[in-house]
Parts: sequence; structure tokens; C-alpha cells
Amino acid sequence: MLQKKICILGAAGAGKTSLTAQFVYSKFSEKYLSTMGVKIDRKKVVVGDTQVNLMIWDIHGEEKFKKITSSYLRGASGLVMVVDGTRPETITIAKEILQRVEQDVGDLPYVWLLNKADLVDEWSLSERHLNDLKEMNKPIYHTSAKTGEHVEDSFLALAEMLLLG
Amino acid sequence: MNKLPELLYQHIASHHIKQLELAWLKISPNSEEIISVGGAWQHYFQRLPVSGDSISDICEPLLGMLPFTKDFELPQMQLSEGQYTDISAVKDEECDWLLFCDVTEHTKQLQQYQQASNDLVLLKGELNRTLDRYVGHHVAERVAQGKLQLNLAGERREVSTLFVDIRGFTPFNESHDAQIVMQTLNEYMDGMLAPVLSKDGMVDKIIGDGAMALFGVLDSKYSNAQAAFFAAQDMLKNIATLNKHRQQQGLVQLGIGIGIATGDAVLGMLGSHDRRCFTAIGRHVNVAARLESKACAGEILVDLETYRRLENSDEFVLRRLFLKGIGEVDGYAYGFSK
Ligand SMILES: Nc1nc2c(ncn2[C@@H]2O[C@H](COP(=O)(O)OP(=O)(O)OP(=O)(O)O)[C@@H](O)[C@H]2O)c(=O)[nH]1
Ligand SMILES: [Mg+2]
Repeated sequence: MLQKKICILGAAGAGKTSLTAQFVYSKFSEKYLSTMGVKIDRKKVVVGDTQVNLMIWDIHGEEKFKKITSSYLRGASGLVMVVDGTRPETITIAKEILQRVEQDVGDLPYVWLLNKADLVDEWSLSERHLNDLKEMNKPIYHTSAKTGEHVEDSFLALAEMLLLG
Repeated sequence: MNKLPELLYQHIASHHIKQLELAWLKISPNSEEIISVGGAWQHYFQRLPVSGDSISDICEPLLGMLPFTKDFELPQMQLSEGQYTDISAVKDEECDWLLFCDVTEHTKQLQQYQQASNDLVLLKGELNRTLDRYVGHHVAERVAQGKLQLNLAGERREVSTLFVDIRGFTPFNESHDAQIVMQTLNEYMDGMLAPVLSKDGMVDKIIGDGAMALFGVLDSKYSNAQAAFFAAQDMLKNIATLNKHRQQQGLVQLGIGIGIATGDAVLGMLGSHDRRCFTAIGRHVNVAARLESKACAGEILVDLETYRRLENSDEFVLRRLFLKGIGEVDGYAYGFSK
């Protein structure tokens, strides 16, 4: 079967592990357990009439003193860039990661996930932030790892981009 | 430097290297094909790798990673639940090597630091949102709705200025975990700032563990002095309730001190388009700040101008105060002394 490796990237606490858990196991937990290094999960999806085995690399969050090693991205076909919608500064962090990745391993297809969409009162992204992201011409999803909103859609959209180019 | 004697080297090696459960795979140069295996392979692989196996048959995460032209490291790979492995790819003259090191123990220790620091990042985000709600947003909204009109050249009017601050926060800060400090600060801030809004005041700025608020800028059914005093009373009530809860939970309790002064001030917007900041400039603003610094925990200290404008003025006690940079003044104390 076709295998594709995708990497989940973003600031610490943005919800990478929660999104992966929702997508793969339909589970959510309020408790925050910071990921160390990398955890790998797998899920089969169907795109058109092709079955694909997604190998999902849930990578630790980027921090000032702990940058993500580019070698994790060897062999990856696509990226999921996660932003915490309640903390606009996580956009800047995601963009920095993206820049480094593109420098070290080249352009990869990716989607933006603006996560924690269920936290309506705390939501802090403005029109300006959105327009900024739109300029990069990649699909943008408002997701919630808690309610599952658009989680599957966004991963499937990426899978489609990987297969159909 | 002298070479480490062989015996000592062996001592360290047997001590430290054993823990790492080292295993290695010898790979045909520039390919994914295994030549041989060594070390504690059972620790990492389901079955014994044999000559001719492809690397991804044995260790799926390495799919697509070989061949390689430059050495690389994959730190802290969680190959199975709760087990962390550093994988190194090293080029030799006639073959490639993959080295596996168990770093579970070390990683679990690091995890605790990581967790504390990441929790703090999330809390900071929360605190920023609390402040934004009270300071930036509120004013911006009023301005947008036309409820607050200010010409940028500055407008002069009478306002009451309130300063509030947490007593004993510095020693608390120094003796507690940063995460606890943030959480506590957020709780107290909520108790201090909410009354400002409900009495039509404006949070002008947040200063460390305290705040400055203005009354008489936004429309209100209360006079500016009365609104400021009501807000101050509500703050004391909120903090008393909060402290009761904290006492029941066995947590440290903190008090707040409040100063209020009234007088003419020049109002205006400072700053650029993106983050405009509202402010008031006047002599009484300093008086309010100084009064706050003299107030005990649970006390409201007001100046004569404020005192004259209050309805319940018989509940105050006169105090002669020496204020730094201002001199001797009459202060009126409410709360603590009774
Ligand atoms: N309400 C809400 N909370 C979320 C959502 N996604 C994640 N969280 C919470 O946010 C915290 C961090 O989530 P994680 O998924 O562990 O974040 P992460 O990006 O994997 O963090 P690191 O591994 O440290 O980089 C947890 O407390 C989650 O419960 C969401 O969509 N909605
Ligand atoms: Mg994680």
C-alpha cells in the first residue's frame, strides 16, 4: 500500500498531539502533556479510489531553547502547520519553522490549522492575521481537537494534495 | 591532556553505556539494505534483522530516510509507548551505520522541565487575554461606538484616579514556582479589574501586580469620585471572597491596598494607530499613586478632594500623611483601621 509521511509542526501547546489523537483515535483530553521528541501514529485514508497509509509524525513544540531538528523531516511528503487561535504569537512561531524547513528540506505541500476554534471567547486572531496567512495561498482550516470540527477534513485535504499534486 | 587510564575508561563505560542499551545496524553503502546487526537489538526490534532486510521492514519510522549522504541524528524517537530512542546515522568508509541509544530515563527527566515551561507559556497567553479584555479592547470598543470622544490634542476635565496593588507580592513571587505565581496573579487581577468596568471606570494600565484606573472618562450614573470609591469597595469584597476560598484550599492569601485622588487632568490618546494607549496627566495622579503606596492591606486611602465628593464620608478616619515628592497632606482611610 502507498505510504506517506506527514509531520505536524507548530508552537508548544498549539494542539498538535490533540489533533493527531482526534484524527486517529477520535479522542480528546483536556490534560496537557508536552510531547518530547517525536511520536508516530498511523491511519489509513482513502483518496478517490486509492488507499493511503498515513504515517503521522507528531513532533515536539518549537520553543526558544528547543528548535525542531530538520532531520525529523527527512522523507516527509507533507506538513500540517498548527496555530493556536487563542495566541496570535503562535503564527510567528509557525512561520519561522516553515522558513527553516523550506531552507533545509525544500518546499513541501502543507495546510494551516487554526486550532482551538471551540474557545470562542478566547479566540484572538484578527482579520489582519487571517489575511496574512491567506497570502501564502494554502488551505486554511478552523479546527477544534476538542469537538473534532474540521479535523478530518483538513488531514484529508492534505492527503489529497499529496496524491493529486 | 593525559589519556584516561583504561581501567577508569572501562569503569565509566560499564556504568553509563550499559544503560543506553546500544544496538547498531550495519548498512550497505548508499542503500537501505541491512548487512548485519549488533548489540541489544531485542530492545528495539520485534524480530532479529537478517542480512538483506530493508531498513523499513525492521524499523518503520526510518522509511524514506535512507540512503543518506551526510550524518544525521533523530533525537528522542518514541518507538514504542514511553520509550525514547536517539537514532544516529553515521557514514563509514565502506558502509553506513545506524546506532540506537535508549534515552528514556533522561528524556523523562527533561519532560518535567519542558512541561513546566510550556504550561507557563499557555498561562501567559491566558493572562495576556485577560489584560487585553480589560485594557485595550474595552476602550477601543467605546471609541468605535462613539461613546468615548477624545480629541488627540488633549481635553481637560475632572477625573478620579485609582491605584491598586497586591501587598506582599514580591516575596510571594520570589518564593513560589513561576506557574503558581502567574495563576495567582491572574486570579487577583480578575478580582481587582472587574469592578473597574462594572463602575464605568477604565483600566489605564497594568503595572506589575497592580493597576491604574480612571473614573469620569466614560459616561456613568455615578460621580467620578463615587464610582471610584464603589469600585474600590467591590475590589476589597472580591479579594476577601477570593481569600476565603484560598484559605479553605490551604493557599497563601494576599491583600490589596488602594489609593484614590481626584482632580483635573489632561486626557488623550498616545501612540500609533495599531496600539493606541489612553492616558491622563495631572498632579492628582501622582497623589493617588502615593496614597496607594501608603495604604495597608484591605485599606482604601483617598485625598481630600475625593473625600469631599463622597456620600458616606462618615465612615472614614483622618490620617496625616507625608507623601514622597508631594509633602504633608490629609488622607482619609476606609476599611483596615476599623
Ligand atoms: N479547548 C481546546 N483545547 C485544546 C484544543 N487542542 C488542544 N487543546 C488543549 O491544549 C493543550 C495542549 O494540547 P497538545 O495537543 O498537548 O499541544 P501540543 O501542540 O501537542 O503541545 P507540545 O507537544 O508541547 O508541543 C491541552 O491542554 C489540550 O487539551 C482544542 O481544539 N480546543
Ligand atoms: Mg504534543
